[in-house]
Amino acid sequence: MGDVNDRTTENAMDTAAAARDATYWAKAVTRLNVSEVPKGAINLNVTGKQLAGPIQGFGKMWQKTYQVRLPRERVSATDLIATWKQRFPDFWPEGNLFYGPLTGIAPGEVALLNMTLPGGMTLSTGVMVLYADEESFTLMTPQGHMFAGWITFSATERDGETVAQAQVLMRASDPIFELGLTLGGHRQEDLFWSHTLREVAAHFGEAADVDTQVVCVDKRRQWSRWSNVWHSSAIRSAGYMLGAPIRGARDLARRGRTPD
Amino acid sequence: MTTSELSTTVRRRDRVAVIDLVGGVNARAEHSLDTAWAEAVRELPDAVVLNFRDAGYINSTGIALIVGLLAKARARGVPIRAYGLTPHYREIFEITRLADFLAINPDEDSAVRGAERSST
Repeated sequence: MGDVNDRTTENAMDTAAAARDATYWAKAVTRLNVSEVPKGAINLNVTGKQLAGPIQGFGKMWQKTYQVRLPRERVSATDLIATWKQRFPDFWPEGNLFYGPLTGIAPGEVALLNMTLPGGMTLSTGVMVLYADEESFTLMTPQGHMFAGWITFSATERDGETVAQAQVLMRASDPIFELGLTLGGHRQEDLFWSHTLREVAAHFGEAADVDTQVVCVDKRRQWSRWSNVWHSSAIRSAGYMLGAPIRGARDLARRGRTPD
Repeated sequence: MTTSELSTTVRRRDRVAVIDLVGGVNARAEHSLDTAWAEAVRELPDAVVLNFRDAGYINSTGIALIVGLLAKARARGVPIRAYGLTPHYREIFEITRLADFLAINPDEDSAVRGAERSST
Protein backbone atom coordinates (compact mmCIF):
# COMPACT_ATOMS: atom_id res chain seq x y z
CA MET A 1 0.00 0.00 0.00
CA GLY A 2 2.86 2.31 0.93
CA ASP A 3 4.49 1.62 -2.43
CA VAL A 4 1.25 2.52 -4.23
CA ASN A 5 1.04 5.82 -2.30
CA ASP A 6 4.69 6.55 -3.00
CA ARG A 7 4.16 5.88 -6.69
CA THR A 8 1.05 8.09 -6.78
CA THR A 9 2.96 10.92 -5.10
CA GLU A 10 5.86 10.51 -7.51
CA ASN A 11 3.49 10.56 -10.50
CA ALA A 12 1.86 13.73 -9.18
CA MET A 13 5.31 15.32 -8.79
CA ASP A 14 6.21 14.32 -12.33
CA THR A 15 2.96 15.76 -13.69
CA ALA A 16 3.59 19.05 -11.89
CA ALA A 17 7.18 19.10 -13.12
CA ALA A 18 6.09 18.38 -16.68
CA ALA A 19 3.59 21.26 -16.52
CA ARG A 20 6.30 23.68 -15.40
CA ASP A 21 8.65 22.22 -17.96
CA ALA A 22 7.13 24.06 -20.91
CA THR A 23 8.38 27.35 -19.51
CA TYR A 24 11.93 26.05 -19.12
CA TRP A 25 12.48 24.92 -22.72
CA ALA A 26 12.91 27.16 -25.76
CA LYS A 27 10.11 27.12 -28.28
CA ALA A 28 10.74 25.51 -31.65
CA VAL A 29 12.75 27.62 -34.07
CA THR A 30 13.71 26.78 -37.61
CA ARG A 31 16.29 29.53 -37.99
CA LEU A 32 17.86 31.87 -35.44
CA ASN A 33 17.04 35.53 -35.30
CA VAL A 34 18.87 38.22 -33.33
CA SER A 35 16.26 40.69 -32.17
CA GLU A 36 18.66 43.40 -31.02
CA VAL A 37 22.39 43.77 -31.64
CA PRO A 38 24.14 45.28 -28.60
CA LYS A 39 26.48 48.20 -29.25
CA GLY A 40 29.94 47.01 -30.20
CA ALA A 41 28.88 43.46 -31.05
CA ILE A 42 29.51 41.89 -34.44
CA ASN A 43 26.40 40.06 -35.58
CA LEU A 44 27.79 37.49 -37.96
CA ASN A 45 27.10 33.79 -38.47
CA VAL A 46 23.96 33.71 -36.33
CA THR A 47 20.93 35.19 -38.08
CA GLY A 48 19.31 32.64 -40.37
CA LYS A 49 21.36 29.72 -39.05
CA GLN A 50 19.82 26.50 -37.78
CA LEU A 51 20.73 25.04 -34.41
CA ALA A 52 23.25 22.20 -34.50
CA GLY A 53 23.40 19.58 -31.75
CA PRO A 54 26.18 17.10 -31.07
CA ILE A 55 24.75 14.66 -33.61
CA GLN A 56 24.93 17.20 -36.43
CA GLY A 57 28.66 17.84 -35.99
CA PHE A 58 31.64 16.33 -37.78
CA GLY A 59 34.31 15.33 -35.26
CA LYS A 60 34.58 12.87 -32.41
CA MET A 61 31.89 13.34 -29.76
CA TRP A 62 33.20 14.54 -26.41
CA GLN A 63 31.65 15.07 -23.02
CA LYS A 64 33.69 17.44 -20.89
CA THR A 65 32.76 18.16 -17.31
CA TYR A 66 34.29 20.94 -15.21
CA GLN A 67 33.38 21.25 -11.52
CA VAL A 68 34.19 23.41 -8.51
CA ARG A 69 33.00 22.80 -4.95
CA LEU A 70 31.94 25.57 -2.60
CA PRO A 71 30.80 25.36 1.03
CA ARG A 72 27.00 25.12 1.09
CA GLU A 73 26.82 27.87 3.73
CA ARG A 74 28.53 30.22 1.26
CA VAL A 75 25.94 29.83 -1.49
CA SER A 76 22.98 27.57 -2.32
CA ALA A 77 22.61 25.88 -5.70
CA THR A 78 19.73 28.10 -6.79
CA ASP A 79 21.49 31.31 -5.70
CA LEU A 80 24.63 30.25 -7.52
CA ILE A 81 22.72 29.63 -10.75
CA ALA A 82 20.81 32.91 -10.40
CA THR A 83 24.13 34.76 -10.09
CA TRP A 84 25.74 32.80 -12.90
CA LYS A 85 22.86 33.65 -15.25
CA GLN A 86 22.93 37.30 -14.26
CA ARG A 87 26.71 37.77 -14.52
CA PHE A 88 27.50 35.15 -17.14
CA PRO A 89 29.87 37.28 -19.28
CA ASP A 90 31.80 38.56 -16.24
CA PHE A 91 33.24 35.12 -15.54
CA TRP A 92 34.66 34.59 -19.03
CA PRO A 93 38.37 34.96 -19.84
CA GLU A 94 39.45 38.37 -21.10
CA GLY A 95 39.08 38.99 -24.82
CA ASN A 96 35.99 36.82 -25.15
CA LEU A 97 32.72 38.70 -25.24
CA PHE A 98 29.24 37.35 -24.62
CA TYR A 99 26.52 39.77 -25.69
CA GLY A 100 23.50 38.40 -23.89
CA PRO A 101 19.96 39.54 -24.45
CA LEU A 102 18.77 42.47 -22.36
CA THR A 103 16.15 40.21 -20.84
CA GLY A 104 18.89 37.95 -19.47
CA ILE A 105 19.42 34.23 -19.91
CA ALA A 106 15.97 32.88 -20.70
CA PRO A 107 14.76 30.02 -22.93
CA GLY A 108 14.77 30.90 -26.62
CA GLU A 109 16.99 33.99 -26.25
CA VAL A 110 19.94 34.33 -28.62
CA ALA A 111 23.31 35.73 -27.55
CA LEU A 112 26.17 36.87 -29.76
CA LEU A 113 29.73 35.72 -29.09
CA ASN A 114 32.84 37.56 -30.23
CA MET A 115 35.85 35.46 -29.35
CA THR A 116 39.53 36.35 -29.73
CA LEU A 117 41.47 33.53 -31.33
CA PRO A 118 45.24 33.03 -31.24
CA GLY A 119 46.65 35.48 -33.80
CA GLY A 120 44.18 38.16 -32.81
CA MET A 121 41.35 37.22 -35.14
CA THR A 122 37.86 37.85 -33.81
CA LEU A 123 35.53 34.94 -34.36
CA SER A 124 31.87 35.89 -34.41
CA THR A 125 29.20 33.38 -33.61
CA GLY A 126 26.36 32.91 -31.13
CA VAL A 127 24.32 30.57 -28.98
CA MET A 128 20.67 30.05 -28.13
CA VAL A 129 19.43 29.43 -24.60
CA LEU A 130 17.88 26.00 -25.04
CA TYR A 131 16.82 25.43 -21.46
CA ALA A 132 16.84 27.35 -18.19
CA ASP A 133 15.44 26.52 -14.77
CA GLU A 134 16.46 27.42 -11.21
CA GLU A 135 19.26 24.87 -11.04
CA SER A 136 20.63 24.78 -14.57
CA PHE A 137 20.71 26.37 -17.98
CA THR A 138 21.80 25.08 -21.37
CA LEU A 139 23.21 26.89 -24.39
CA MET A 140 23.02 25.34 -27.87
CA THR A 141 25.20 26.27 -30.82
CA PRO A 142 24.17 27.29 -34.35
CA GLN A 143 25.60 25.96 -37.61
CA GLY A 144 29.11 27.26 -38.15
CA HIS A 145 30.04 27.48 -34.46
CA MET A 146 33.40 25.92 -33.55
CA PHE A 147 31.53 22.94 -32.23
CA ALA A 148 28.07 21.52 -32.63
CA GLY A 149 26.57 20.79 -29.26
CA TRP A 150 25.38 22.24 -26.04
CA ILE A 151 26.78 23.35 -22.72
CA THR A 152 24.84 22.83 -19.52
CA PHE A 153 25.67 24.93 -16.48
CA SER A 154 24.26 23.53 -13.26
CA ALA A 155 24.61 23.52 -9.51
CA THR A 156 23.74 20.77 -7.05
CA GLU A 157 24.05 20.42 -3.29
CA ARG A 158 25.95 17.36 -2.08
CA ASP A 159 27.44 16.52 1.33
CA GLY A 160 27.39 20.08 2.61
CA GLU A 161 28.84 21.48 -0.59
CA THR A 162 27.44 23.30 -3.60
CA VAL A 163 28.91 21.85 -6.76
CA ALA A 164 28.99 24.21 -9.74
CA GLN A 165 29.40 22.46 -13.04
CA ALA A 166 29.80 23.21 -16.74
CA GLN A 167 29.27 20.21 -18.98
CA VAL A 168 29.97 20.35 -22.70
CA LEU A 169 28.60 17.72 -25.09
CA MET A 170 30.04 18.43 -28.50
CA ARG A 171 31.57 17.47 -31.80
CA ALA A 172 33.78 19.80 -33.82
CA SER A 173 31.49 21.27 -36.48
CA ASP A 174 33.69 20.59 -39.48
CA PRO A 175 37.07 19.12 -40.48
CA ILE A 176 38.92 22.42 -39.99
CA PHE A 177 37.64 22.90 -36.45
CA GLU A 178 38.36 19.21 -35.75
CA LEU A 179 41.96 19.77 -36.76
CA GLY A 180 42.05 22.92 -34.64
CA LEU A 181 40.73 21.06 -31.61
CA THR A 182 43.36 18.35 -32.07
CA LEU A 183 46.14 20.93 -32.40
CA GLY A 184 45.53 22.63 -29.09
CA GLY A 185 41.88 23.63 -29.30
CA HIS A 186 40.81 21.11 -26.70
CA ARG A 187 43.40 22.49 -24.31
CA GLN A 188 42.22 26.05 -24.99
CA GLU A 189 38.67 25.00 -24.28
CA ASP A 190 39.69 23.29 -21.03
CA LEU A 191 41.51 26.47 -19.97
CA PHE A 192 38.48 28.57 -20.92
CA TRP A 193 35.98 26.67 -18.79
CA SER A 194 38.43 26.14 -15.93
CA HIS A 195 38.97 29.90 -15.83
CA THR A 196 35.21 30.47 -15.87
CA LEU A 197 34.56 28.10 -12.98
CA ARG A 198 37.43 29.53 -10.93
CA GLU A 199 35.90 32.98 -11.47
CA VAL A 200 32.49 31.72 -10.36
CA ALA A 201 34.06 30.31 -7.20
CA ALA A 202 36.08 33.51 -6.65
CA HIS A 203 32.89 35.54 -6.89
CA PHE A 204 31.69 33.67 -3.81
CA GLY A 205 35.03 34.13 -2.05
CA GLU A 206 36.52 30.71 -2.72
CA ALA A 207 39.83 29.88 -4.38
CA ALA A 208 38.67 26.53 -5.71
CA ASP A 209 40.45 23.90 -7.80
CA VAL A 210 38.63 22.84 -10.94
CA ASP A 211 38.01 19.14 -11.41
CA THR A 212 38.01 18.25 -15.12
CA GLN A 213 36.70 15.03 -16.62
CA VAL A 214 36.86 14.32 -20.35
CA VAL A 215 35.11 11.35 -21.97
CA CYS A 216 35.11 10.50 -25.67
CA VAL A 217 31.49 9.41 -26.21
CA ASP A 218 31.96 8.48 -29.88
CA LYS A 219 35.41 8.04 -31.43
CA ARG A 220 34.11 8.08 -34.97
CA ARG A 221 34.06 11.14 -37.15
CA GLN A 222 30.95 11.79 -39.22
CA TRP A 223 32.51 12.22 -42.64
CA SER A 224 29.11 12.80 -44.23
CA ARG A 225 29.13 16.12 -42.34
CA TRP A 226 32.33 17.49 -43.91
CA SER A 227 30.28 20.04 -45.83
CA ASN A 228 29.45 21.83 -42.55
CA VAL A 229 32.59 23.77 -43.42
CA TRP A 230 30.37 25.90 -45.70
CA HIS A 231 28.94 27.54 -42.56
CA SER A 232 32.30 27.87 -40.77
CA SER A 233 32.26 30.93 -38.54
CA ALA A 234 36.08 31.01 -38.66
CA ILE A 235 36.21 31.30 -42.45
CA ARG A 236 33.33 33.77 -42.56
CA SER A 237 34.76 35.85 -39.70
CA ALA A 238 38.16 35.94 -41.45
CA GLY A 239 36.43 37.08 -44.65
CA TYR A 240 34.60 39.77 -42.70
CA MET A 241 37.85 41.03 -41.14
CA LEU A 242 39.69 41.01 -44.47
CA GLY A 243 36.85 43.02 -45.96
CA ALA A 244 37.07 45.69 -43.25
CA PRO A 245 39.37 48.08 -45.21
CA ILE A 246 37.09 47.88 -48.26
CA ARG A 247 34.01 48.54 -46.13
CA GLY A 248 35.82 51.46 -44.46
CA ALA A 249 36.83 53.02 -47.82
CA ARG A 250 33.28 52.59 -49.12
CA ASP A 251 31.84 54.33 -46.04
CA LEU A 252 34.30 57.22 -46.44
CA ALA A 253 33.39 57.58 -50.11
CA ARG A 254 29.70 57.57 -49.27
CA ARG A 255 30.19 60.24 -46.60
CA GLY A 256 32.22 62.31 -49.07
CA ARG A 257 29.32 62.26 -51.55
CA THR A 258 26.76 63.27 -48.94
CA PRO A 259 26.23 67.10 -48.87
CA ASP A 260 26.83 68.78 -45.47
CA MET B 1 13.96 20.37 -9.66
CA THR B 2 12.60 17.35 -7.80
CA THR B 3 11.16 14.52 -9.83
CA SER B 4 10.98 10.78 -9.28
CA GLU B 5 13.99 8.59 -10.01
CA LEU B 6 13.96 6.93 -13.40
CA SER B 7 13.29 3.21 -13.39
CA THR B 8 13.71 1.10 -16.49
CA THR B 9 12.68 -2.35 -17.63
CA VAL B 10 13.79 -4.15 -20.76
CA ARG B 11 11.40 -6.36 -22.76
CA ARG B 12 11.93 -8.35 -25.94
CA ARG B 13 9.61 -8.32 -28.90
CA ASP B 14 11.00 -10.79 -31.38
CA ARG B 15 14.45 -9.45 -32.13
CA VAL B 16 13.73 -5.94 -30.89
CA ALA B 17 14.55 -4.77 -27.34
CA VAL B 18 12.06 -2.33 -25.81
CA ILE B 19 13.25 -0.14 -22.90
CA ASP B 20 10.35 1.17 -20.78
CA LEU B 21 11.26 4.46 -19.07
CA VAL B 22 9.27 5.35 -15.95
CA GLY B 23 9.99 8.62 -14.09
CA GLY B 24 12.10 11.69 -14.73
CA VAL B 25 14.93 11.66 -17.25
CA ASN B 26 17.58 13.92 -15.71
CA ALA B 27 21.12 13.75 -14.31
CA ARG B 28 20.07 11.07 -11.80
CA ALA B 29 18.89 8.81 -14.63
CA GLU B 30 22.38 8.06 -15.96
CA HIS B 31 22.99 4.82 -14.08
CA SER B 32 19.52 3.49 -14.79
CA LEU B 33 19.80 4.26 -18.52
CA ASP B 34 23.27 2.74 -18.77
CA THR B 35 22.11 -0.45 -17.03
CA ALA B 36 19.05 -0.73 -19.29
CA TRP B 37 21.16 -0.15 -22.38
CA ALA B 38 23.63 -2.87 -21.39
CA GLU B 39 20.78 -5.30 -20.84
CA ALA B 40 19.01 -4.30 -24.06
CA VAL B 41 22.02 -4.95 -26.28
CA ARG B 42 23.25 -8.07 -24.44
CA GLU B 43 21.35 -10.38 -26.78
CA LEU B 44 22.37 -8.46 -29.89
CA PRO B 45 18.94 -7.11 -30.87
CA ASP B 46 18.16 -5.95 -34.39
CA ALA B 47 17.01 -2.64 -32.91
CA VAL B 48 16.20 -0.86 -29.64
CA VAL B 49 12.95 0.99 -28.97
CA LEU B 50 12.67 3.60 -26.18
CA ASN B 51 9.22 3.81 -24.60
CA PHE B 52 8.63 7.31 -23.19
CA ARG B 53 4.92 6.78 -22.41
CA ASP B 54 5.51 6.84 -18.64
CA ALA B 55 8.57 9.06 -18.66
CA GLY B 56 7.86 12.20 -16.68
CA TYR B 57 9.97 15.25 -16.83
CA ILE B 58 12.93 15.39 -19.24
CA ASN B 59 15.47 18.17 -18.71
CA SER B 60 18.44 19.17 -20.85
CA THR B 61 20.78 16.79 -19.00
CA GLY B 62 18.31 13.99 -19.77
CA ILE B 63 18.43 14.91 -23.45
CA ALA B 64 22.25 14.73 -23.27
CA LEU B 65 21.96 11.21 -21.83
CA ILE B 66 19.75 10.20 -24.74
CA VAL B 67 22.35 11.60 -27.13
CA GLY B 68 24.87 9.36 -25.35
CA LEU B 69 22.62 6.36 -26.04
CA LEU B 70 22.39 7.37 -29.70
CA ALA B 71 26.19 7.46 -29.89
CA LYS B 72 26.42 3.99 -28.34
CA ALA B 73 23.76 2.69 -30.73
CA ARG B 74 25.61 4.15 -33.68
CA ALA B 75 28.89 2.61 -32.55
CA ARG B 76 27.18 -0.81 -32.44
CA GLY B 77 25.21 -0.24 -35.64
CA VAL B 78 21.93 -0.76 -33.78
CA PRO B 79 18.95 1.33 -35.01
CA ILE B 80 17.10 3.15 -32.24
CA ARG B 81 13.50 4.41 -32.25
CA ALA B 82 11.14 6.04 -29.78
CA TYR B 83 7.44 6.24 -29.04
CA GLY B 84 5.13 7.59 -26.35
CA LEU B 85 6.46 11.15 -26.44
CA THR B 86 3.98 13.90 -25.62
CA PRO B 87 3.61 16.65 -28.25
CA HIS B 88 5.73 18.90 -26.03
CA TYR B 89 8.64 16.48 -25.91
CA ARG B 90 8.27 15.72 -29.62
CA GLU B 91 8.87 19.43 -30.10
CA ILE B 92 11.90 19.32 -27.77
CA PHE B 93 13.30 16.42 -29.81
CA GLU B 94 12.82 18.57 -32.93
CA ILE B 95 14.49 21.65 -31.38
CA THR B 96 17.48 19.68 -30.14
CA ARG B 97 17.56 17.91 -33.52
CA LEU B 98 17.49 14.51 -31.86
CA ALA B 99 14.65 13.73 -34.24
CA ASP B 100 17.14 13.83 -37.13
CA PHE B 101 18.67 10.60 -35.84
CA LEU B 102 15.93 9.02 -33.76
CA ALA B 103 12.73 7.98 -35.52
CA ILE B 104 9.69 8.90 -33.45
CA ASN B 105 6.64 6.65 -33.75
CA PRO B 106 3.11 7.08 -32.44
CA ASP B 107 2.92 3.66 -30.72
CA GLU B 108 4.87 0.58 -29.82
CA ASP B 109 3.69 -1.56 -32.72
CA SER B 110 4.77 0.95 -35.33
CA ALA B 111 8.08 1.54 -33.50
CA VAL B 112 8.82 -2.20 -33.41
CA ARG B 113 7.71 -2.68 -37.03
CA GLY B 114 9.80 0.33 -38.07
CA ALA B 115 12.76 -0.96 -36.11
CA GLU B 116 12.46 -4.35 -37.81
CA ARG B 117 12.26 -2.67 -41.20
CA SER B 118 15.19 -0.33 -40.56
CA SER B 119 17.39 -3.21 -39.44
CA THR B 120 16.77 -5.31 -42.57
